[in-house]
Formats: sequence, structure tokens, C-alpha cells
Amino acid sequence: MQFGRFQRAIGFLVLGASGGAAALLWFAVAESSPAPRVAMDEGLLFGVWHVFYDTAAPAPRVLLAAVAMALLFAVGLALVERRITTRSRRSLDLRVKPLAPKVVMAATTGVYGGPVTITVLIPAHDEEASIGHTISSLLGQSHRPERVVVVADNCTDRTIPIARATGVEVIESVGNTKKKAGALNQALAVVLPGQGDNDLVMVMDADTALDDGFLESAVRRFTADRALMAVGGLFYGEQGAGLIGLFQRNEYVRYAREMARRRGRVYVLTGTASLFRPVALRTVAGSRGGSLPGVHGDVYDTAALTEDNELTIALKSLGALMVSPADCTVVTEVMPTWPTLWNQRLRWQRGALENLGAYGVTPQTFRNWAQQLGIGYGVIGLSAYVLLALLTVASVDHWVWFPFWVGMGLLFMAERVVTVWKGGWRARLLAVTIVPELCFDLFLNAVFVKGVLDISFGRQASWTHLSHSADLDPGVEPDLDVNLDPDPGIVKAA
Amino acid sequence: MHLTPGHGILLPTELLHSSGFAVLAAFVAINTVMYASLALAKVLPKVYLSDLWTSVNRRAENRSIHPDGTPSPADPDRLVEAA
Repeated sequence: MQFGRFQRAIGFLVLGASGGAAALLWFAVAESSPAPRVAMDEGLLFGVWHVFYDTAAPAPRVLLAAVAMALLFAVGLALVERRITTRSRRSLDLRVKPLAPKVVMAATTGVYGGPVTITVLIPAHDEEASIGHTISSLLGQSHRPERVVVVADNCTDRTIPIARATGVEVIESVGNTKKKAGALNQALAVVLPGQGDNDLVMVMDADTALDDGFLESAVRRFTADRALMAVGGLFYGEQGAGLIGLFQRNEYVRYAREMARRRGRVYVLTGTASLFRPVALRTVAGSRGGSLPGVHGDVYDTAALTEDNELTIALKSLGALMVSPADCTVVTEVMPTWPTLWNQRLRWQRGALENLGAYGVTPQTFRNWAQQLGIGYGVIGLSAYVLLALLTVASVDHWVWFPFWVGMGLLFMAERVVTVWKGGWRARLLAVTIVPELCFDLFLNAVFVKGVLDISFGRQASWTHLSHSADLDPGVEPDLDVNLDPDPGIVKAA
Repeated sequence: MHLTPGHGILLPTELLHSSGFAVLAAFVAINTVMYASLALAKVLPKVYLSDLWTSVNRRAENRSIHPDGTPSPADPDRLVEAA
């Protein structure tokens, strides 16, 4: 991706807008001169327990205004997003929205392109520890894919012989220096020309396993709707990796819950596992270098750090219909250490910003922009919250109860627990303690700030790829590679 | 009961009664209430007004890959939204 002034401006824009909103509120509050607290009270609880408490709380009108503002933002965002979606769905403009449902349906009326088939591409760079499990999860599906191709990219381990031993095809990249996106482009150049209208292409990670029923559900949907251009998976975290693994699993459970509440409306077609109709990929490739960024003829933009997010925005820009159904789930790896998690999330964040830089402000990137600004504001809000808590703790000479803050805490606790309920008792236990997840949010906020500052000051982003050999760690799978396909949609406000 | 000025663990207790602290507390309180409202909205079931008018979502034409409109086992159309 061309690292231009606009790229750098993205960082300043996000920083400025988030900081500006916070400053506006700060000055408004300061202008109203809230009265300093001068007293707290002492009471007797249950007749025996002496407690100090402070009933300080914002005035009811201020509380109401805050609630109204939050709901206004949430509902406003949803309504604008819905309007953009609906306009895209109803477009008849073949030139601007060649993948819009009405355009696609008009082109295929009365034409039968044969039954839906699936060709799976698995890009793999030294994935010997997990490739076997990935392939077996595919071949064990209730709807078995017709063709599985491992796209071996500069492999120096036993990925290729392991893949061949399972009976699947292997395509080796040639002279590829463009990482995963480059390898996929080479493979798609071979595979795509032979695909009919309903011969779907699925791209999935070598460190990911499909849950049973994924492909059956996807095929049913593609059969029922010829205008459907893509189906994305919902990912859950694999077991293991201790507390850091649990943090990530909780995050993924919440993301899946949110997607279900959105009825599958796509944030990002995850690189862990997504299916595409060939016409969608061909149209993207044909539009690059023109209405889309990238090199003409390439399906994936090799300059993007987060190629799945970029492809999602590309498809949205062309009017494509897509869904992430609740029954299309996959299990993917979690980062086992804080440094690997830091690197992964930094790349997601950087990639998301660069994608915005490449597309600018368009209706299709509205949601992404709102997300970045929301996270930016969340960073400031959470930091102020932590500062207030620390100042209070450092300044009181005995324990004081604040009913207002206790009430807020209980509400957040309920939200944390309810949203990870499906994750099981460990997930709920972690959520109910609040503080650890708060610290995890601070970690993610630090990544966000680093990402924004890096792009603002023009620091180049770099790829990281750690791998463990299966020989070194027998019996442990999947591999511990840094995830190469991020989902910026998972990054959330505090 | 009024507390006498003293020292907290690290800072003087007077800090809690300063105007700067009051601004910070009000700023954080407003933000917290905003996020708490969103948290509450996340816990409650999501309501789609469009559900009340089902005819709006009914498709006007066959969208199956089969030109004769062979019905699919389950129609997931309602779940499919343009993104």
C-alpha cells in the first residue's frame, strides 16, 4: 500500500476526532462547575457494620442527557448503516455496483449454472503442525468439499508431504514475496478460470478447523439465493493457552453473539474461513486498479496487511450481498503469549487503518470509521475512569462506598457475564471479576494507540510470523503461528 | 459526619474535594452512564421493528439457483442482509 500523506492523515484524523469529542465534553463539564464534594456520611449497616459512604452522583438531568446521547449514537449508527445497506441492495447501477443483488439476478435469470460445489484453498506457510487437522475437519463435513487445494507458500517444513498424504491437491507458490495474499492470487489465477457460476471458492486458514455443518449451511444458502456473493465464518478460540487464551475466547464469544444479534450482517468476511461466488472474486480482480485499490487482475490486494478486511470492503463497495450465519462456525488458534498477541492485534489495527486510508470516506467504510472513532473515544473514557479510580484509592484514608459507582459496576458486571454466557463457567467466572477483563481492555487500548501513533508518524509496519515445529512439540496442535488473517471487527471499544 | 482533612495512602484527602477532581469525576460519570446505557442495550433482547411488518421482507421473485424456483429446505433469506 502506498504510504502517502493521506495514510498518515488517517491517524491524526482518528486521534483528533476522538480527542476533540472528549475535550468538548470535558470543557462542557468544566463550564458547568460541578460542586466539589465536601462531606461523606457514616452509617450503620445491619445494625453492626459501620460504613462510610458518599452519595455523590450526577444530577438527574445530566444522567438523562448521557443516556439519551448514548442511545442516539447507537440508534443513529444503526439507522445510517441500514440505509446504506438498503441503497446498495436496491442498486441497479451495473457500472458502480456490478455485484448488487438486482444486477446479479438480472444477469442470471433463467440460467442454471449447475449445482453448488466447493473448492477450498488453504494458504499455508510452514503449517505442518496443524494442516492435517484442518484438512480432516474439511473432509469430515456433512457436505464434503468437491476439491481441496493446499496453497503452499515458501514452505520449508513437512506441510506439503503431509497435505499430499491426505489426498488433497497442492499448489506451490512461485517466487512469491507478497505473503499470503500473493500466494492466494497465484492459486486463484489457476483455479478461478475453471469455476462455473455456482462453483464456490472457499479460502480458509491452515490453523483453523470447521465445525460440522458449516459447509452444508453455506451450500443451502448459496443454493437458495443466487445473488448471495459471500458467506463468512464466525470464529471461536481453541482451548488452551491459560488465561490469555480465555481472554481471547471471551472476546470471540462476544463477537459471535453480536453477529447473531445483527442477524449475520457482516463486519468482516474472516480469512479464517469464507466462501465466495466466483463472479464476486472475478469482479473484484477486474475492478482493481480502477474503482478499487490494488493491481488490476489481483483478487487480493497484496499491499494490505489485513487482506480479508480489505476484500470485504472491496465486495461491499461493489454492492455484494454477504452474510455470516450463526451456524457457520470455525475454531481458530489463540495467541499463546502477550508478545504474539500484541503483534497480532497491532497488525489488525494497522491494517484496518490502512484499509481506511486506501478507500477513504465512503458509505461502505462508514461502519469502519465509526468503529475506529468509537474505539478512540473508548480509550480516553477508560483511561479517565482508571485515573479517577486510582486517584480516589490513593486519596482516601479509609474505605468509602460510592453507591452510584457500585451500581454502575454491577450493571457492567451483568453485561460482561451475560455476553459470554455461552462460553461456559470459566468464561463467566472471568467476566464476573471485571478487573482482569478491564486490564485486558487496557492492553487492547494500548495496541490501538500504538497503531494510530505508528501510522501518524509514518513508521513502517512489519509482518511477524512465529512458528513451532510439530517435531518440537509433539501432540500439541494446532500450531502457534501468528494468525495471518485478522479481523479488525473484533477490536472493540472498552 | 464530616471527615477531618488527612492523608490517604499516597495523596492528601483534600484532593477529593478539589474542583479539578470534581470535573474529572463528572466527566467520568457521564461517560460511564453512556457506556452503561450501551451495556444495558446489549443485555436486553434486540428488537427489529421490521419484524412487525413481515410483508416488507417477502421477496418479489425467485432467487434460487434453480430457474424453476425449486424450494430450498430452509429459506435463510431473512438472515441475508446486504453488507
